[in-house]
Amino acid sequence: MIRIISLASFTAVFLLVVPARADELNIYFKTTPNIERLRPYADPATMSLLVTDANGRPLTDGSVTIRLDAPRSGGFFSTDFPWVEGTRLQEMQLDLRRGRANWKYLFPIRGQYRLAVNVSTADGRKESKQFTFNVRENEKKWGTLAAFSTGLFFLGFIAGRVFTDVPKGIVIIVFALLAASGTRADNNSSDNDAGAALEVGPAMVGQPTLVHWRFKNHIDSASSRVLLSLAIVHLEKAKTVFEVERIPVPGEFAMNFQFTDGAEYRLVAVGEEAGSAPIRSEKIISVSALEPPTKAMIPAFGYFIGLIALGLIAGRWSKRRDTVKREE
Amino acid sequence: MERIINAWLNLVVSEQASFFIKSGIFLFVCGATLFFALGASYPAVHDTLHNVRHALAVVPCH
Repeated sequence: MIRIISLASFTAVFLLVVPARADELNIYFKTTPNIERLRPYADPATMSLLVTDANGRPLTDGSVTIRLDAPRSGGFFSTDFPWVEGTRLQEMQLDLRRGRANWKYLFPIRGQYRLAVNVSTADGRKESKQFTFNVRENEKKWGTLAAFSTGLFFLGFIAGRVFTDVPKGIVIIVFALLAASGTRADNNSSDNDAGAALEVGPAMVGQPTLVHWRFKNHIDSASSRVLLSLAIVHLEKAKTVFEVERIPVPGEFAMNFQFTDGAEYRLVAVGEEAGSAPIRSEKIISVSALEPPTKAMIPAFGYFIGLIALGLIAGRWSKRRDTVKREE
Repeated sequence: MERIINAWLNLVVSEQASFFIKSGIFLFVCGATLFFALGASYPAVHDTLHNVRHALAVVPCH
């Protein structure tokens, strides 16, 4: 009797588990180029999400909510954008097309990013997953830092040799600083097209800004979709920092997006609806910059001055050794 | 220059102390110059050396 009850219980549990497993959703994430080849402020990466059911078939109907967080600060040195560290970079919802959602993004700093993905299907199923991936620093920057560090060391080395001996001349150190007046463009936003509105909240480095696009003539948002292409371009660097192409949206699209550099950006949105001409909206915004925090500056400047001090000691030691050799 | 100052102030400093004084002044000048070039927010300097700051990977910018 006990065996029969056990067998019946096991069968009941198995029958419950199987449908639950069939409801499972698989979420896959990849970037193009590969994550190993991504570098900050190099080229925008194409981010791709694929959602499939338990049988591996792409999900036909559903949406994904995406949250991208910047790497946390933690190393000895700050990155070149300290206010971006550990903050929310992006938050948006995209419709899945044949189980896929694609967008382009330009990573601002090195470190480990966190991408949280929440999937919702039309029949009420939900799944979430967090991806973490590491973006390495541009090797050219490490090379430049090494060359600059070597220069500082030798500056200290030469000074150390000069200061050790009785001065026979005057050492003149000239610090030439080139000052050129920078030009800053005024805040300038082009007129929106009559058929659509593109609105951007006050943008400041370190916090997400609401980007909202609305198709004015769209009436029935529930049944029909508008295809939206949206691109955000960093004007000074002439690089696309975010882009989605022809994504279906219900007449409007909103996302929280962090402009990671205190510079000017151009936003271009093109809305396409069946039976009407594409409507283009453009806006140029100026992002408010923030002074870097002191705690982010101290390690870098401590390192530079430490290198000069090491050079001074090495120069003194070198000069004294030469003097001893000459005397011998 | 050093001998003129020594004669004027009637100071006698050892070679070691002289080295430390000169090194201290040198480090201070270098530190101030580095901070002015890579850390100050004065627009003319910042805009000119903006790319240098970012190229060094460890110097924070806005």
